[in-house]
Amino acid sequence: MPLNDISALAALRTRMQWHQERQRVLAENIANSDTPNFRPHDLVEPTFDAQGGNASSGVTLAMTRTTAGQSMAGSGASAHFGQNGNGGFQTRPAGNAVSLEDQMLQVSANQMDYAAAASLYSRSLRLLKMAAGKA
Amino acid sequence: MADNGADFMRSMSIATSGLRAQAGRMRVISENIANANSTAQAPGGDPYRRKVPTFSSALDRALDAKVVTLGRVRPDTSTFRIKHEPGNPAADTSGNVKYPNVNPLVEMTDMRDAQRSYEANLNIISATRRMIQRTLDILKS
Repeated sequence: MPLNDISALAALRTRMQWHQERQRVLAENIANSDTPNFRPHDLVEPTFDAQGGNASSGVTLAMTRTTAGQSMAGSGASAHFGQNGNGGFQTRPAGNAVSLEDQMLQVSANQMDYAAAASLYSRSLRLLKMAAGKA
Repeated sequence: MADNGADFMRSMSIATSGLRAQAGRMRVISENIANANSTAQAPGGDPYRRKVPTFSSALDRALDAKVVTLGRVRPDTSTFRIKHEPGNPAADTSGNVKYPNVNPLVEMTDMRDAQRSYEANLNIISATRRMIQRTLDILKS
């Protein structure tokens, strides 16, 4: 059974991909914090159903394919997460709505949540190992 | 998670583009401050004109992300300061000297702003590095 068929791991994996994608969006916002007419973006948080599958619309897990030579490789297309464009509340005269303080707060929250998901993932792996009698 | 590292690298490259743009802005600001009192060489001529950096957001196709670039550096078209200094070699026939339209206070606040944006971009890089570290920690468990 592939590791990704275990629902908890699949959900954590999607979660981590979401954090990774969000980090990119936040990096974009901060890099463009002085660009005129730039509006910050954020990602819509994924929701999971009881089986750990993805319940939010428009979100698909990346397919896994096998390639010659390698046993398994993730396909290049990562999961698509919905973007939401209503990030900024204050618009400066130049038309830029990025608030550095807000973005910094989101970056640190994102990083901590990612750390939590990553340690849950490795904890689950350790449990699997224990169940297999190898720990 | 085959493409994990590569995707974090995207965040890092975006932040690096921000660092580069802010550093370029800093260079323009220091040029303005250094030339705050540069008068013209010839009598009655125009002195140093303040330069304004512009930013533009560009889609980097290789990265598939919006990076920031320092656009054209434009001249500030506001009027020059005029002082009456008949003895100055740059004075015109009525004894007035044109001084650059640089206000050190404005340059200083701009400089602080550039510094703050630079630090924010650095922060992104260190946060992303910590995230990559967490990913690698999964391997160790």
